[in-house]
Amino acid sequence: MRVVRVVAGTISLVAVLGLVACDSDTPSESSWVDPFCRDTRARVDSFMAVARDRTRGMEDARHGGTAVVAGLADLPGGMNGFIAGEVMTVQHHQFVNLMTLVAFDEELNPRPYLAESWDVSPDGTELTFHIRRDVVWHDGVPTDAHDVAFTYRRVTDPETGFPNPGFWRRYEKGEAGMEVLDDHTIRFRLQPHAEFLDPWRTLAIMPEHLLRDVAPADLGRHPFGSECPVGNGPFVFQEHSPLDRWVFTANPGFSPSLGGRPFLDRLIYRVVPDQETSLAALLTGGVDVYLKVRPDQIEQVSASPDLEPVVMDSRDFEFVGWNSRRPQLADPRVRHALTLGTDREAIVATLLEGYGRVAHTTVWPGHWAYEPGLVETPYDPAAAALLLEEAGWVDRDGDGVRENADGVRLSLGIRYPPGSVLRQSAGEIIQAQLARIGVEVGLRPTETAVLMEVVTNPGSRDFDGLMLTWANDFRLDDSDLLHSRNVDGDWGFAGIRSPALDRYLDTLQVVLDREEALPLWREYQRLQEEIHPYMFLYFPQRLAGANRRLHGVVMDARGELVSVRDWWIDPEMR
Amino acid sequence: MTRYAITRLLGAIPLVLGVATVVFFVINLAPGDPSLHFVTPGMSGETIAQVRSNFGLDAPLHIRYLKWISSLATGELGYSFSHRRPVLSVIAASLPNTLLLSGLALVVAFGGGILLGTYQALRRTSWTDVGLNVALVTVYSIPAFWLGLMLILVFSVMARGAWDWPVWLPSSGMVSTDHEALSFPGRIGDHVAHLVLPVLTLAAGMMAAVARFMRAGVLEVLDQEHVRAARAKGLSERAVVLGHVMRNALIPVVTLLGLYLPVLFSGAVLVEYVFAWPGMGRVLVESIASRDYPLILAGSILFAVVVVIGNLLADLLYAVVDPRVRHG
Repeated sequence: MRVVRVVAGTISLVAVLGLVACDSDTPSESSWVDPFCRDTRARVDSFMAVARDRTRGMEDARHGGTAVVAGLADLPGGMNGFIAGEVMTVQHHQFVNLMTLVAFDEELNPRPYLAESWDVSPDGTELTFHIRRDVVWHDGVPTDAHDVAFTYRRVTDPETGFPNPGFWRRYEKGEAGMEVLDDHTIRFRLQPHAEFLDPWRTLAIMPEHLLRDVAPADLGRHPFGSECPVGNGPFVFQEHSPLDRWVFTANPGFSPSLGGRPFLDRLIYRVVPDQETSLAALLTGGVDVYLKVRPDQIEQVSASPDLEPVVMDSRDFEFVGWNSRRPQLADPRVRHALTLGTDREAIVATLLEGYGRVAHTTVWPGHWAYEPGLVETPYDPAAAALLLEEAGWVDRDGDGVRENADGVRLSLGIRYPPGSVLRQSAGEIIQAQLARIGVEVGLRPTETAVLMEVVTNPGSRDFDGLMLTWANDFRLDDSDLLHSRNVDGDWGFAGIRSPALDRYLDTLQVVLDREEALPLWREYQRLQEEIHPYMFLYFPQRLAGANRRLHGVVMDARGELVSVRDWWIDPEMR
Repeated sequence: MTRYAITRLLGAIPLVLGVATVVFFVINLAPGDPSLHFVTPGMSGETIAQVRSNFGLDAPLHIRYLKWISSLATGELGYSFSHRRPVLSVIAASLPNTLLLSGLALVVAFGGGILLGTYQALRRTSWTDVGLNVALVTVYSIPAFWLGLMLILVFSVMARGAWDWPVWLPSSGMVSTDHEALSFPGRIGDHVAHLVLPVLTLAAGMMAAVARFMRAGVLEVLDQEHVRAARAKGLSERAVVLGHVMRNALIPVVTLLGLYLPVLFSGAVLVEYVFAWPGMGRVLVESIASRDYPLILAGSILFAVVVVIGNLLADLLYAVVDPRVRHG
């Protein structure tokens, strides 16, 4: 008996201690807090207390309440604009905690944000931003042109390891590329090019006064990003517990010219890794927004009277990238036939339940040069078979798989990251359909880290096909993927060398006028169709579910959080 | 007994270090490294190389090993690439959550299992015994993640939506969003409500196993002569069962306790995943996927320590339940 009592006693003691420890404001954590964080947090807290006092009584009925957003993963890199590149993390920079110089409107045209205006010199080589004067960091220090200069200096410094160095391909980098004209004016030097404002939509300006003394190479491991961010955006960082939640509170001092204090008191980003659990939490009111609704879940969201399903266009496309270095895949006619032999409409209709569009080129549906029907490869197995025969692939030994004159079998392995039912099913459909035109396909799920090595390391490109998702930026530049100078680069896995394609890739980026550029974009898309670097599968639509108690929710190609400053909750439902 | 425990723990240090060393080399031999997870489209080879050198990944393997082992000696666990904070702070934030979950699951599993098993044995071959047998085998064969989802469906989604029960349980997380605004008893209640489903999910399978062991143990003891002797000298049935039967039947179950402690940790992974519980299990699994070497190593050390402690605990408990075992 003694044993039972001892064991039960010890374990319940541990449990009770655990409960109490979890409830107190994680005192265990305070001892790990970095001195940098202790200082900055104290300054933010005292400044916010003053700001809240100053704005007390200025709220209306829409102010108040907490909205909870559920995502599948933590925000890697946190609020550190120097290192973070993941989509949801960047949205928190853009719309929640930090600010970008430029924002986009619904039509994806640039509009002022941290910069109240900008001018471009007539020859397109100088870009001047005028920085808003009423924006302060959450610790009370004003945001000005020196912060912009500091940010630019660091992101163009290779030591920092900024994830999107391609932003600055046509900008003059470093100190020589910029000039601070006064505290609120900064000028950049660049080669004239299309969509030159695009980087300033994504790049969050970082606080110089806090990070100036950090060596560029150390910025990635500085506690600023995930332990004590100090932003200047509509929401102030409150708390982050790894793999669990990010808590932000309303910034009472947010620039009145941009709408002032957000309506919500608090915004919580919660990590709910399982999609079934996320749906359950949305259905039971545990979360207000669930960001990654699967196509097969949307019906349940629609069926609930409390919930609003949201469908957004996305810039991603899903594709099978062929390795044109392989003898089976070197001939564009073979690659074309593979696409002809795959019923991609059926994939969209069944696997995505219609939430997506068949892709024919890299140009995504929200892009200004996108034209439905401009180029289209239909599902036509008969044409595919003819094309394969024309290219010399015939089933010579009657085993159902085609061979060429040298006896090479038309047998292809497709590698893809494991874990996605959608991708696995798409692979099986492709496999079954291509078998009908005499092409043997093997499916090879490959662990993500290994697959990344295959994709990015020119020395280990051991694959026939790669089924992947590619995330386009607003400014579409496929040079990394398709330009022949990058064939042995990190993203040139397709191995396409086409001087014609190179010419377009180079020209499209420097023709500023859209009317002038449109015919070129059309030609470019036709050329992609001709060369067939990939089997484009589809542009998925992004799906989300939001509780109807939340008003002012706009989600579109710009992101799920684009209107978060304007979200408000029915007063009687808080 | 204290001396025995200390000797055992000291003896375990080389074992734990050995485990960590093997894991260090194995994980470094696996293809891919943490920098691949920071790679984004358009990132040039030079930038990738820069990121790798910023994180000290460009040094030769043996140098990295020496650096790591020497900093370990000073209690420094390193810096987590994926969480971008010290490993110690990641563990400090997540380990207590797992201890809470597994600790409670252990209480429920062993408490419930011991009671159920004994009850069954005392009523052997009755309909209750047969019914419980069927139920326990069923529970034992249900995968934890599926059980978790079903519990969420019934006690959270359906209870709140379709059936409109007065009480329903939260489906995920550790606390509600308005937790800070609640009174102290309210906060404890909130914690408990969030614990019910994950603890049940984690404990169910184990409880079934413990009950089976306990039933078999009690049945075996019941037939022994000392039990007959105890009855013969006129002890009450209660005293016989508690003092003479259960104590002896507990010996195999104690072994189970030592074996299950590490299993609880690994079993918690799925439960933490399904219930969005921010615990150590999830941290570990995600660290392996992201090749977060320092975190993987710290986790393996922790896991090795749990195994050592589990075994030690079982050995010590033998001495408590079985007077023939003495640890000098």
